Amino acid sequence: MASLRTTSRLFAASRPMFRPVFARTYATVEPTPSEQPKMKTFKVYRWNPDQPSEKPQMQSYDLDLNKTGPMMLDALIRIKNELDPTLTFRRSCREGICGSCAMNIDGVNTLACLCRIPTDTKTESRIYPLPHTYVVKDLVPDMTHFYKQYKSIKPYLQRDTPTEDGLEFRQSPEDRKKLDGLYECILCACCSTSCPSYWWNSEEYLGPAVLLQSFRWLADSRDEKTAERKAALDNSMSVYRCHTILNCTRTCPKGLNPGRAIAEIKKMLAV
Amino acid sequence: MASFARSSLLRQTLAPRAPFLQKNVGVSQVVAFHASAKKQILPPLPQSVQGTMNDPAPIPETHPSEGSYHWSFERLVCVGLVPLSFAPFAAGSLNPVMDAILCSLLVAHSHIGFQAAIVDYFPPSRVPKFRATCNWLLRAFTLTTAVGLYEFETNDVGVTEALRRIWTA
Repeated sequence: MASLRTTSRLFAASRPMFRPVFARTYATVEPTPSEQPKMKTFKVYRWNPDQPSEKPQMQSYDLDLNKTGPMMLDALIRIKNELDPTLTFRRSCREGICGSCAMNIDGVNTLACLCRIPTDTKTESRIYPLPHTYVVKDLVPDMTHFYKQYKSIKPYLQRDTPTEDGLEFRQSPEDRKKLDGLYECILCACCSTSCPSYWWNSEEYLGPAVLLQSFRWLADSRDEKTAERKAALDNSMSVYRCHTILNCTRTCPKGLNPGRAIAEIKKMLAV
Repeated sequence: MASFARSSLLRQTLAPRAPFLQKNVGVSQVVAFHASAKKQILPPLPQSVQGTMNDPAPIPETHPSEGSYHWSFERLVCVGLVPLSFAPFAAGSLNPVMDAILCSLLVAHSHIGFQAAIVDYFPPSRVPKFRATCNWLLRAFTLTTAVGLYEFETNDVGVTEALRRIWTA
């Protein structure tokens, strides 16, 4: 984005040709010399496993928003690069498809790479790890149990009968359409860790993210183990700890609707 | 560890200001971030992973009275209560059978609701005795309510008529 803008500006007729082109790194915005620095305070949750007896604390960092990219992840990367290399967080794709940078920003679970920095410099931004998770370090939560739960729903196509022609398992466009809004989930765990039911009963309740995936395989017309999948969910804990709080739908950074998927599972089980 | 936490929970809930509590407060504050409040209800235990990292999480045991039947029954009771709350007033007549159905659905509805709260907040792996106590307490309350409603219906004016009198009082 930034490089695109400068290239177009180079060719703009209104600009003097001797204007220097600044070399800059990824996702920083060209500083405008006339503007005042827009200093914003970021308060970041810090906890170091090497000092387990020290309580977690919030550490403040001040960044000039004119020199920072637009997203929270840009701010975090800049803090790590320039202010404090000990700050630890997960990040990978910086475009909301890997789900690594899920964290609690200003009280909302979201992906740091999809979350714009609020331009209001008077209020500080507070960044926490995902709520009710075991913290490995700073903003890195432990996802072991979440992945173990994901594995328990057997998230793969289960089918015994081959197709007539021995080729791939085909699906009608209508059946494929049933998977829209389900297959996009990137398992960032924003929804599960925003769910109070999951906070209290995460050992047994599967949580919205895993249930959305569960429904993705229940709704798949090619899957033949629907009965087994339903039987595995038919207990008091796996699904029915959902009380339709809908924090999951409200917080999903991909705009999906896990609450609806859980309701569909309940309907499937009830019939 | 579990027994330690359980005992500290019971101590905190039963006697929050007891002097022997003091030694536990410091420990639980170190354990969890949210421990800045001195009285915690069910503070989180240290993390424990069942099996290896690659094992799937165990699937909870199923029971015919739980799961989908339970949920369908709960929804039917919920939906049934809506017309039953209005029907006696709309019909304008006092019908003991309608009253009986309304009362029994009300009792079932409240029992299921409180039961859900117990299942949510008192995991049997964590507080098995307290959970059992709560369940028996709930059953006792439900039975008392049912008997009380029966008495009210047979020896007094009944729920619908009582509501009507309060409304027009």
